[in-house]
Amino acid sequence: MSYKERSIWVSLAITLYIWFNYFSELYWSAKQNSLTTDSMQSALLVVVFITIFLEIMHHIVIAIIDNKNANYDEDERDKKIALIGNQNAYYILSFTTITAVLHLLFPVMSQGLVTALKLPNEYVIINIIIFGALVAEIAKFATQVFYYRRGF
Amino acid sequence: MAKRISNNIRRLRFDNNEMTQQMLADVVGVSRQTIVAIEKDKYSPSLEVAFKIAEYFNVSLDQVFQYQ
Repeated sequence: MSYKERSIWVSLAITLYIWFNYFSELYWSAKQNSLTTDSMQSALLVVVFITIFLEIMHHIVIAIIDNKNANYDEDERDKKIALIGNQNAYYILSFTTITAVLHLLFPVMSQGLVTALKLPNEYVIINIIIFGALVAEIAKFATQVFYYRRGF
Repeated sequence: MAKRISNNIRRLRFDNNEMTQQMLADVVGVSRQTIVAIEKDKYSPSLEVAFKIAEYFNVSLDQVFQYQ
């Protein structure tokens, strides 16, 4: 397994772990009627700090374990795989943008979500965008891992 | 049946004093994993890398890569 591929696996695991925690907290808070803008903001802040911390640790640990390849530059295959991953993420982000716009234009379509979250509309939009960005990120990493494993 | 690109890099390396994949990777400027992927026909390199490989082994391009 290459340095790059290993790094992608770890990033995928970090992303899944952090955002699963965030959305499960959101879900349970909404279910217990304790979800407020303050609790959402603090949950988001925690996500940002933990992400920064884990990503720094991830790069330090991988550089220590595989110090021979720590300064490794991407080659043409890495760039091509990254490009395909970014392309898939772009489709999902585009879809997310359309969803957020539809939510703004036709609130009746997402009335269930607004009722469930009990948050001001702008916070619902923030969560739609965050969720879309998360799915896009996962799709990007998953695509890259897939092509590293299977080839093309 | 669809045509595909195959190659003789493994044999060429063997004939060239059993050159390692890492040595070839360093010569052509890619990672060892990319050489592994090319040898297993899991990745078709760019023309530039293909020419570099052929140039290194001092053979023509069609002696390294075949489209069949």
